[in-house]
Amino acid sequence: MSQGGLIGVDVEQERVEEKDPELLAENKEQEFVGRTPWRLAWLRLRKDKVAMVSLGFIVFLVLVAIFAPLLTALIGHGPNAQYTTKGLSLSGIPVGPGQNGFILGTDDQGRDVLSRIIYGSQISLEVGIGATALALAVGTLIGLVAGYYGGWIDSILGRFMDILLSFPILLFAIAIVARFGPSLELLIIVIAMFSWPYIGRLVRGQVIGLREREFVEAARALGASDLRIMVFDIAPNLIALAVIYATLLIPVNIVLEATLSFLGLGIQPPTASWGNMIAEAQTGDLYTVAWWFLVFPCIALVLTTLAFNLFGDGLRDALDPRRGRGHLGTVQKVKRAARAFAFPSEVIRAARSSVFRSERERETP
Amino acid sequence: MIRLVARRLVYLVLVLIVITFLTYVVFFVGNPNDLAARFAGRDAGPAQIRDAAVRLGLNHGFWYQYWHYLVGLLHGSFGLDFQNQVPINSEIARAFPVTASLVVGSVVIWLLIGIPIGIMSATHPRTLRDRAGTTFALTFLSMPTFVLGVLFLLVFYYYLTRAGLSWFPAAGYVGITTSPGQWFLHLILPWLTLALVQAAIYTRLIRGSLLDVLGEDYIRTARAKGLSRRTVIYKHGVRAALTPVVTQLGIDVGTLLAGAFVTERVFGLPGLGQLALNAIGAADLPVVAAVVVLAASFIVIMNTIVDIVYALLDPRVRLA
Repeated sequence: MSQGGLIGVDVEQERVEEKDPELLAENKEQEFVGRTPWRLAWLRLRKDKVAMVSLGFIVFLVLVAIFAPLLTALIGHGPNAQYTTKGLSLSGIPVGPGQNGFILGTDDQGRDVLSRIIYGSQISLEVGIGATALALAVGTLIGLVAGYYGGWIDSILGRFMDILLSFPILLFAIAIVARFGPSLELLIIVIAMFSWPYIGRLVRGQVIGLREREFVEAARALGASDLRIMVFDIAPNLIALAVIYATLLIPVNIVLEATLSFLGLGIQPPTASWGNMIAEAQTGDLYTVAWWFLVFPCIALVLTTLAFNLFGDGLRDALDPRRGRGHLGTVQKVKRAARAFAFPSEVIRAARSSVFRSERERETP
Repeated sequence: MIRLVARRLVYLVLVLIVITFLTYVVFFVGNPNDLAARFAGRDAGPAQIRDAAVRLGLNHGFWYQYWHYLVGLLHGSFGLDFQNQVPINSEIARAFPVTASLVVGSVVIWLLIGIPIGIMSATHPRTLRDRAGTTFALTFLSMPTFVLGVLFLLVFYYYLTRAGLSWFPAAGYVGITTSPGQWFLHLILPWLTLALVQAAIYTRLIRGSLLDVLGEDYIRTARAKGLSRRTVIYKHGVRAALTPVVTQLGIDVGTLLAGAFVTERVFGLPGLGQLALNAIGAADLPVVAAVVVLAASFIVIMNTIVDIVYALLDPRVRLA
């Protein structure tokens, strides 16, 4: 029904495409058959070295998190086991990287740093992806309703999102965790609660443009209900946008989890999370002579954030070629990606500027 | 213009009410006996708990209590804390200068770093200097504040001191009135921690903004009438390019304050963030609530000021 760009994935055509690459290369005509927008995006993405390396790292990280028990079993050290004889020297100094079978060394309690980082990746991904998924669901739903119906519904929902956006996220997270006590579920809910308006704003903006388009009018003329139009005609056009901003929101949420855990408001020790590993290391003095159990969790966190940001940025270019950047060299790509990094990240900035824009729109009579 | 300002002010009041309301709901709604027991302390008997409930006004309805809280706030009072039953205002008054020193100092540093590097990148695009600026931005942009903080402390304090170069003092805070020199020394690392992440963002922001401005026709006109390159860039270019930066500065206050709280934790500075986090440890809810309300209000007020300044600077918003 909908004519919008990214759906209309024709299964039949996709099969043709997947038949045989050599045959396709020989028969040029067939190359034009069945290139769905998703497939085109994938082809563009594949050329982007930075994004592909980042994707590789993300896949690796996900596998590590999934097979954490297996990996730690292979290493032979549980994440919370304290190796007081093998893992600490006689004077209680942690064992360095590569010594006594501890690949990344041990921490001040004689625990294996690598095993803890592996288990910490589970927490980071669970919270990062879980909170983002929740935010995506709520944000898309509310943005869709606000943008589609407009009028007073939009005013109320829009104002509500504005107010949430002007809240200091970290402070309120502190407040809520302080009242209800820290837990993984609460952490996910709190982070999602403050990140959905970013998605909501963006979706709303898109829907306002889409609802006036001919294919929506056509659907309405055919007698489709509002619900049907929203779900089957408008929503599919939002997928690309949602995927891009979800990818850029994940690292923001991962950092937020780590920050809350660092402040003692997130994951509680002895359960390993990168944030509380850094916090625990910093409470003692031993890290000054045994840098590894402070520095390795930091590296894990920074690399993960970096990978998601670079991948999200590449994804945006691949899915939204109209931004017209054409072919960029690797150096330029890395450079441009710099914009997407910051802790509030470009997601927040984009949402902010859309707040301003809507503000200006509203002022217009 | 007046309409716009009035509208923003009404909105400001609305947001402030929502903030206090949500804070109040999060912190004080729930089992009143529980709250009273916390207020009365650990060894309190039932009579004392009842007494505490009356003192806290818990025997009244919810709206009455919220109204009471709001009136207290409007009179500039955050109430008593649970631990020592002293006015929270005095605790905040003690912590505020620390957070203020941290925030103001780091804003100065980040602008001092961000603006020159941004201008350099924009005036020499695609050169080695631009690339160096980008590398700088990339390095610090991907670091969460606390990671940068702990690494700074490790390298610049512990490693340097062990190497015999005790340039930086240990974590902690010395009041500016006690010893301005020590105050400065103790704050250098926290300032840099907070400033570098933001400076990196501003480098990119200024670079982009200045590149846009330098592409404008009036810049070419200025060059054509024979002004020196320096005059064109600094007098005509940078001045126009800084407008979006100023707006961004106001918007970033929220991030900055959150970052300041994290930095305080890393460097053991007894500011508002530490106050709140310690209060959480002691389950001292009114103190946490006070800090949250204070910081949130500050951010919202700054955002409103930015909106109004934005309208003043950009006639398109004002005239629309």
